[in-house]
Amino acid sequence: MSDANPDPTGTRACAYTSYERGEGSADLPATGADATGLAADVWDALYEIDDPEMPISIVDLGLIYGVDVTDGRAQVDMTLTYTGCPARDRLTEEVEDAVASVEGVAESTVRLVWSPEWSLEMVTETGEERLREFGLSV
Amino acid sequence: MATADGLPAPEAMDDEQREAVETLLFRLADDEFVAAERYTEWQVESPTLESDLALANIAQDELGHARLWYDLLEDFGYDEPDLVWERPADEWHQSTLTELPFGEGDWADLIVRTYLYDTAESIRLAALEESSSARIRDRIGKVSGEEDFHVQHARRWLERLAEEADSRERLQAALERLFPHALTLFEPVDEEIEARIDDLGVRTATLSEMRAEWLESVEPYLESQGLSLSEVPQDDEGPDGYALPDAVGRDQSHTDAWPDLVEAFTNTYRELGRDQATKIMRDPDEEEA
Repeated sequence: MSDANPDPTGTRACAYTSYERGEGSADLPATGADATGLAADVWDALYEIDDPEMPISIVDLGLIYGVDVTDGRAQVDMTLTYTGCPARDRLTEEVEDAVASVEGVAESTVRLVWSPEWSLEMVTETGEERLREFGLSV
Repeated sequence: MATADGLPAPEAMDDEQREAVETLLFRLADDEFVAAERYTEWQVESPTLESDLALANIAQDELGHARLWYDLLEDFGYDEPDLVWERPADEWHQSTLTELPFGEGDWADLIVRTYLYDTAESIRLAALEESSSARIRDRIGKVSGEEDFHVQHARRWLERLAEEADSRERLQAALERLFPHALTLFEPVDEEIEARIDDLGVRTATLSEMRAEWLESVEPYLESQGLSLSEVPQDDEGPDGYALPDAVGRDQSHTDAWPDLVEAFTNTYRELGRDQATKIMRDPDEEEA
């Protein structure tokens, strides 16, 4: 048994963190393409934020599920690729701060949502290109 | 009673609905959190780097899931110190399976434990897919997707260990020690509240239905690996002949090891004189402001 792969899962590549194709959702990815006025400015601010591990905007990664701006109050619905994401606070705070800094936004809140669960289907075409440039096969 | 549209938002729930949902969430969150606390003890003892990584990852998953369920409890007005750092040891609801110390250096214990636990976990998550609580329901797909790997990991290790007599004996010893505690996963926090959880549709299978389903899965599998359930503690009066341990966890009775574990994971919080879950780093922009 000494020559055997000591890992009985037998996975040389990391099957666990492979990003699988999911079912996707008709309304996602949300990109803010139709947004106007202040909401469009909020989307612009969100595009400026990159994922902590990959050089891709969180919008192109498909983490943003929706933006609502009413009377200067902005609410962003976002998800994370992984429930145990260690960068959760950093990322949600970064989003909250970036949105709050948009001129005309008086208040910003982030709501974490988990359904539909994030999958590669949520990544935009631009996002897929960035991921390929980064070296991921998507 | 639950309407066709399901339960209302936390702030609109009546006391009975609230108590039922909170109880279910404490069952889920406390199991995941405490299991992860124990798994991390293996970070210095795993037999291979691969298994070290796998287990670190499983522990991280369980902490992530605990966080999701505690988040929902925060919707009812609790904060993190209430839920974790300042909660007295006798107010926790986890199954005693998750809190038991590992047999010293006993990898078979870890493998049997995760097999029993994660098999039960997949059954209880399935019973929440159609929950009348939208907030719970919306998290199930994500959590289930991350759990699949855990059972696979446990089964592959278990099958490997079952191949040889020495390691199979270790599995059998661990099984005899852990099996009664695994049954506590299906014990009620309180009979009446558990019945209400079912009546309100928060969960779509009762505890006894899930226990039966779990037994139907684990009994033949363990026997196929040369392990015997006739040696685990028996109780003729139990629903299926198996005995429970003295402390079952769910009703807040715990094993002697539990207060020590609470002491350990709250140590830093207490030593630093905290009264809130302080963030480690302040946002530099806020410092300037």
